[in-house]
Amino acid sequence: MRAYRAFARATALSALAYRGSFLLSLGGVAFQLIALLAVWRVLLDGGANIGGFDWEHMRGYLLVAFAAGALVGSFVDFRMSFRIRSGLIALDLVKPVDYQRARFWETVGGVWIEIAVVVLVGGLAVVFGGLPVTPDGPELALFLCSMTLLVPLKFTVSYLSTLACFWTENFVGVLWARQAVTALLSGALVPLAYFPDWLATAATWSPFAGLTSTPALIFIGQVSGREAVLLVAVQLGWAVVLWYAARALFRGALRQLTVHGG
Amino acid sequence: MIRLYGRLLGAHLRSLLEYEADFWLMMFGTLMMQVVNVAFLSAIFAKVPHINGWSFWAVVAMFGMVAVAEGVGSLFFEGMWNLAWQINQGDLDYMMVRPYPILLQVSSMQIGLNGLSNIVTGGLMLGFAVANVDIAWSAGRVGLALLVLLSAIVIKVAINLGTNAVSFWMQSPSPLFAFAVHQVGDLARFPLSVYPLALKAALGFVLPFAFVSFFPVSVVFGHGPAWVGLLTPLVAVYCAVVAWFVFSRGLRRYEGAGS
Repeated sequence: MRAYRAFARATALSALAYRGSFLLSLGGVAFQLIALLAVWRVLLDGGANIGGFDWEHMRGYLLVAFAAGALVGSFVDFRMSFRIRSGLIALDLVKPVDYQRARFWETVGGVWIEIAVVVLVGGLAVVFGGLPVTPDGPELALFLCSMTLLVPLKFTVSYLSTLACFWTENFVGVLWARQAVTALLSGALVPLAYFPDWLATAATWSPFAGLTSTPALIFIGQVSGREAVLLVAVQLGWAVVLWYAARALFRGALRQLTVHGG
Repeated sequence: MIRLYGRLLGAHLRSLLEYEADFWLMMFGTLMMQVVNVAFLSAIFAKVPHINGWSFWAVVAMFGMVAVAEGVGSLFFEGMWNLAWQINQGDLDYMMVRPYPILLQVSSMQIGLNGLSNIVTGGLMLGFAVANVDIAWSAGRVGLALLVLLSAIVIKVAINLGTNAVSFWMQSPSPLFAFAVHQVGDLARFPLSVYPLALKAALGFVLPFAFVSFFPVSVVFGHGPAWVGLLTPLVAVYCAVVAWFVFSRGLRRYEGAGS
């Protein structure tokens, strides 16, 4: 465990050293938040209710969606993909630590700067638009649980797709495809309730819902009680399943890795 | 001069096409992004008839304009994004001794194949939007549509050039400023009228991204503040002049690396 703490500390420090690019990588989600807030404010003006959302609830939803989008950026992905393609991964493999766990703790180490940005943006949102609707005690606890589970879940989703670098030189194409699909199916662009029923149901039970929809719906009180607990359990289930799926894929990937010299 | 530019790009294209699977992955990645954009818009418009008076197809056209303008930027001028690195490394030294404009050497340094799929998908979005909206087409309106499309592309490329040329004043090896501005451009995919006044001013005047998507669509569709859209060609000339000015002033500051 001490070794993994060192990985976390290393990214925590490099997040500070490269704070410019770190913060910039959050720019995309931040501008998306501004655009979506502006669009929905116009659509839900005057107490309108569309698809079960009024302005207050949509605003809370979008703020959580921003927080969920900001956590676990693509910093570790890029580093990992570079090291796989360049062959530097050989150095990672000879270290007496588990590769996947090491990458996970690296990710965790970088989260603090993202939390800082979320707190800052959340604070600005409260100053300009007032306090959003907040959940009661038990739902709040469940929301925090869900946000915490989001970190390992989002890590495994991106780790799985980054493993594609063992087979392809082009990481950006994989990254873009993954980001596009997750943005849509997680409910980060528009709540899942706006989809046709079949797609909404499929997305709700997919691993993607846990990346935005689950915590956001719990936060605004759209789901509560047993239903909320069930959704968080699904989140946990997917995190575990994908974690072991990634392990299996990694074993396959290593078998066809070639590193030339060093 | 243009033929040589084509050959410079062609050389990069051939080297990229060596990796065929990568090419298709890149196409797939960008295609997915546009598909998701359209899916997102249709999910919203399934519940509401219009955003501030703008129909589904009008907003699709705005997204399409941004995709085409960005696509042209990536496919033909991707090298601009390398300028910061070139300055940092002192690589412009080599370009200064070659008998070809430095700007064109810089912008042809790279080719962004994602531009190809963005042009195609953006073009499809524009095509479907125009086909589904009732527009009284006349020769004049077709000419106007082509003129504002061309101007929109010039504006996007000029903003890329101007913001990347700011790297002459910054020491960073990566174009952080240009990238930040590029992200602001994403705001312009939605009708400008949804934004508060400060953002309208920013997107209309300071960084005229609204002239890449909103105003051109407005004037061709004859909806909203159409007359402002007539200014698009002027804004394009203005942006190009400013970008060229920033670039040439920056070039005078360039110091090389002494190697």
